[in-house]
Order: sequence, then structure tokens, then C-alpha cells
Amino acid sequence: MSETSSATRSSSEAAPFGSPVGRRLRYRPRLVLEIRESMPAWQQFVILALSVLCGAAISTAILVWAGVPASELLSEFVNTVVDEQSIRAVLTQAAPLILVGIAASVAFQARFWNLGIEGQMVFGSIAATAVSLWHVGPESLRLLLMACAAVLGGLIWSVIPALLKLWLSVNEIIVTLLLNYVATYFLYDLLYGVWKDPTDGFPHSQVYASGERLPDIAWSINAALPVSLALMLVVVWLTQISRFGVYLRFIHANVAMAMRVGVPVVTTTFGAVFLSGSLAGVAGFVVSSGMEGRLSQGFFEGYGFSGVLIAFLARNNSLVAPLVAVLVAMLFVTGQTLQIFYQIPFSMVQLIQAIIVMCVAATEFFIRHRINLRG
Amino acid sequence: MADFLVNWISSIPGLALPYALASIGLIIGERAGVLSLGAEGLMLVGALVGVGTVLRINDPTLGLLAAMLASSMVSVLFACLVVFLRVNQVIAGLSLVFFCQGLTNLVGTMLDWSNRTIPGLGLLPLGSLGALPVIGPIFFRHDALVYLLVPIILFVQWLLTRTTFGLRLRAVGENPDAADSVGINVSLYRFFAVVGGSALIGLAGAYLSVVSAKIWVAGITGGRGWIAVALVIFARWNPWRALLGALLFGGIEALIPQIAAAGIGLPQYYLLMTPYLATLAVMVWQGLKNDTVSDEPEGLGKPFVREERR
Repeated sequence: MSETSSATRSSSEAAPFGSPVGRRLRYRPRLVLEIRESMPAWQQFVILALSVLCGAAISTAILVWAGVPASELLSEFVNTVVDEQSIRAVLTQAAPLILVGIAASVAFQARFWNLGIEGQMVFGSIAATAVSLWHVGPESLRLLLMACAAVLGGLIWSVIPALLKLWLSVNEIIVTLLLNYVATYFLYDLLYGVWKDPTDGFPHSQVYASGERLPDIAWSINAALPVSLALMLVVVWLTQISRFGVYLRFIHANVAMAMRVGVPVVTTTFGAVFLSGSLAGVAGFVVSSGMEGRLSQGFFEGYGFSGVLIAFLARNNSLVAPLVAVLVAMLFVTGQTLQIFYQIPFSMVQLIQAIIVMCVAATEFFIRHRINLRG
Repeated sequence: MADFLVNWISSIPGLALPYALASIGLIIGERAGVLSLGAEGLMLVGALVGVGTVLRINDPTLGLLAAMLASSMVSVLFACLVVFLRVNQVIAGLSLVFFCQGLTNLVGTMLDWSNRTIPGLGLLPLGSLGALPVIGPIFFRHDALVYLLVPIILFVQWLLTRTTFGLRLRAVGENPDAADSVGINVSLYRFFAVVGGSALIGLAGAYLSVVSAKIWVAGITGGRGWIAVALVIFARWNPWRALLGALLFGGIEALIPQIAAAGIGLPQYYLLMTPYLATLAVMVWQGLKNDTVSDEPEGLGKPFVREERR
């Protein structure tokens, strides 16, 4: 069978224009790109790991240029894995990162670019702080009320881009990004105005009462971590087991088709965006209540892009997101150390994240394509 | 009141210019079908390199040129990712912004370029014209770049609509498959459109730091790159309409210090929100108009793979 087909092909190749003898085409090898249908999981993993390593190498080179000796850098990084206190710092830092990671994943699964995670965090935190400052509800329920307020705050701030996108098809990328700036100025207005700390006059809110802070649980790990892991499991159930998840995957695969077969596209997308906003609101609450103990000026910085990075590396899989979040948390903690000891600006963390995203995105090309040399 | 108006109107061109330049730079890339969200980052690169060059060799003109070159070079990275490696353009654009934010912060701190005032680019000497009562400050007391803006727009418009190069560039943006089938090198056109447009975006950033602020501080662009991205949609990918939008936003931004100077007691941070709110309002208005004919390049944001051509 194969012989006959190859025979017919060669005869048809010889046929076209009578192929005059002596006028054969010059042998010119050329690179041909082919779409690769599939690639074994282990191979994909190796490529992914290599690209992350590549990004790490570039980042190291930049840091060495910035004046951090390579040996010190290694020991700093190893320290975050070995030192007990650093591990605690990493696990505490991981909590909000898990939340922003799954927040981004859920929205991205609905093909909605929620880049307004930082603004949603701000409004989550503002709502929680309002509950704290105005002494809403009995003290025993205060923490729960703050968390609920944070959910609402984040949700409300995600309603705007969702409505604009689904009703007026306004580009959500720009709307969410611009709303971040609006939220930031709103926060500044509060912190430099009515909510300024009366005790020291600095632009941050009064310290939360001890009952309004997320407590440390066993091994002095903050309760933020189990909370975010529990929420992660809820999201995993929602996106991978429930009917909502089926709809979500359908929409992700093909919106037009989903619409035609009667998947409630609008409702599902709204749901995903609101879920994303709520999770981001909780992330803001977790930073304020679990880590800083007050509403401060720049508490949200860097989380927006971290969320995108985590969702991208975890391929929108909420179950994988915590693993990536822990890695990013290690990066955050190392970045803080570098900031203190080497005066490296903390935005170095952003730079490293961006480099890693670029490297991974670039190597994705080799997962999806195959380059062949054709004669 | 007359003073208020003259002060306000005469400060508009300087504030509108970065928006106009950045959105025209973006239009060139987007007409070729590449969605560049990286404007904010490229503007930062331009702003930093402009100030750095002036600090080193004390020549504002060279500073502006160096800024254009630098942001073009950084955009080569982006162009390679999206054009040749077919990376998702949103992901690549976003990471470009954060890459540039981190890089400019780091370089600015390491080379000690932050918070140092520079002489900057002066006003164009137009003799006694600038001393005229009302039209003097409004028309004749600006720097050279303000007067160069219209020629730049004319040139870009001519390039896009009156040359073979422009025709091919737009073909690549509208229908890469068809363009490819008649032998236009889609990847090459996209690559050069992005890199060329980025020079203008870098110039916009350098204008902010070298001409307007005369200083580099981290994050000096403050979201103007994102506003420029929105402006392109508002301008419907037309350079002249981009100028109109830029004047609108420059007008709003120019109003903020004027209101503060006039002693009108509006809360400062709400005033600072206005450019972003105005951008949102413009986008909502654009959405409400609900045009049946979209001016958006058909192939915008879609990677081109010849092997997947239909």
C-alpha cells in the first residue's frame, strides 16, 4: 500500500511540466515548519524545565551585573529552601499568590483577560478595612465579616469590566488595567485623607485589632495558607468537576460553538469573572489581614502580573497553581532579601518573572511546532 | 478667566504630544496586525535612556534619538516573540511591560540616573512671536517636537496610504493569508512595523522625561502607555483621529494643574483619576456607537503561520 502510494507520488512529481532534462531545480534545503499534533508529557515537561532554567540563567546574569556575587545569590536562594524561617516566609507569601494565580486562571479559562487583579485586591482590602474601622458586627464574627466584605469588594470591581465587555464588547484588557489606576488613586485618597493613621500620621490605616488579623496556626504558619488552599479546592471542584467547569471548558475551546449548542455563555463568563474578582478581593484581604495587619499603600504591587504568570505556567489549572505559587513566593522572599542587603529594587522580581514568561512562551513554539529540513 | 484659558490651552500641546506619538507608533504596528500592549514599557525605556544620555553627554537631541533607538531595540525582543515564535500577543505584550518596568527600575538605580534633574530640551526660539499677548503662549512657546508632530503624522499617513510599502503593510494586517499568497513576506513586514513604530513610542516616553519633567523617576509614564493603547481603538487606527484623541486627553491632563492652581478645592486624587476615567468614558462611548463597520485590522492579534494557511 505504502509502496504504491509512494510510487504514484514520485510519478506525479516527475510529471508536471514534462520536466525537461538538464533543467532540474537546484538542490535548495529549506527549513519547514510543521504543526506538531501532540508531544509526550515528559518531553513537554523537560522543555518547560529547560526554559525556566534558561530564564533563571539570564536573570542571574543580570543580578551579577547589578552587583550581587553569583555565589551569594546561590546561597540566598538555597537559604529560602533550607532555613526554617525563610520557609515560613515563603509559605506565608504563597497564600495570596495562590489566590491571585487561581483568580487569573479562572478568568483566562473564560477567555476573559482579567488584568485588574490589583485593583480588585485594593477594593477587597478597602472593604475589609472598612469593616474593621467601623466596627461592623460582633467582634467574634469580625474576621468572617471582613472576609465577606473583601469578596464583595473584589467582586464589585470586576463587575464593571465584565458588564462593559459582555454588553458593549469593550476590550477588557484596557478597562481592567485602567481600573487598577483608578483603584490606586481611590486608595491614596483614603490613606492620605480620612483613613490616615491618627497615631503616627503615616499614610496607612490604623492597625487592625488582634481579633481582626488572620491568626497563626500550627508551626507559626498563618491561617492564610489553609484558607487559600481550601478556596483552591473549591475552585478545582467548580472548574474541573462541576457543570460550570464543563461550560467553561466549552467556552474556552470554542465560544461560537458553545453559543450554538446552547451553553449559557454569558452567564458562565460572568460567573467566571465574578469568581476571579472575588478571589482577588480575598487575596487583598489575606495580604492586609494576614501579613501586614493594616491597609497600606503599596500592598498589592506585583501581584497582578504574578497572577498572570502563575496562571500561564500552570496552564490555567488551579490544581497546579499552588506549586507555581510556591516557586513565585520563593522569588518574592529572595527579592526582599536582595532588596535589603544589596539595594536591588524589588521590581527585579517583576523583571525575573517577565524573563521567565518570555522564555517559557518562546519554547512553547517548539512544543507546538516541529522544524524540519527539507531538501 | 482669560489667563486661565490661555494657561490651559498653551499647556495642552506638551501634554498631548506623548499620547499622540505613542498611539501613532502603535497604529503602525497594529495596522500590520500586531497587537502591542507593550507601549507602557517601551515608553519607560525611552524615558530612561533619554535622561541617561543627557546625563552622560548633555545633548537633549541625541538623548531623544538614543531613546528611539533603545526602545526599537527592546521591541526587537517582542517582535521576535510574536512574529517569529508566534507567542500569544497579549502574554508577550504584558511581559514586555513588566520586563521594561523591572529593567528601567534596576538600571536607573544601578547607574544612579534616578531623581537627577537635567537641562532638557528648551523652547524653540521664535523671537518676538512668543511675546505676543494671547497667541504667543498658545502657538509660539513650545519645543521643537511640538512643531514636528504634524509633519510626523503627515509622513506616517503618507507612508501607510500612499506607498506600496504601506499598502503591503496594511494587507498583512488585514488578511495575512492573502498577502502571503501574493508573495508578501508577512513576518518581515510585521517585524519592521513593530520595530519602527516602537521608535515613536520611545520618543513619546523620552519626551515625558527629557522635555516635560526633565528628570527620571521610576514609573514616570504612569499608565500613559495604556491610555495610548485605548486611544488607538478610539482613533480607529487613523493617525489624524489619534491626534484628535491625544489633544482631548492632553486637554484633560492640562486641566488638573490649572484647577489646582486656580485654588478650586477638588480632592487631589480624584483629579488624578480623571485621565483614566476619561479613557474609560471614551471606550464606553465607542462601544455604545456600535458601528457596523469595524476599522480594526482583520488580522489583529492573530499569529500568522504559513503552514496553517487556508
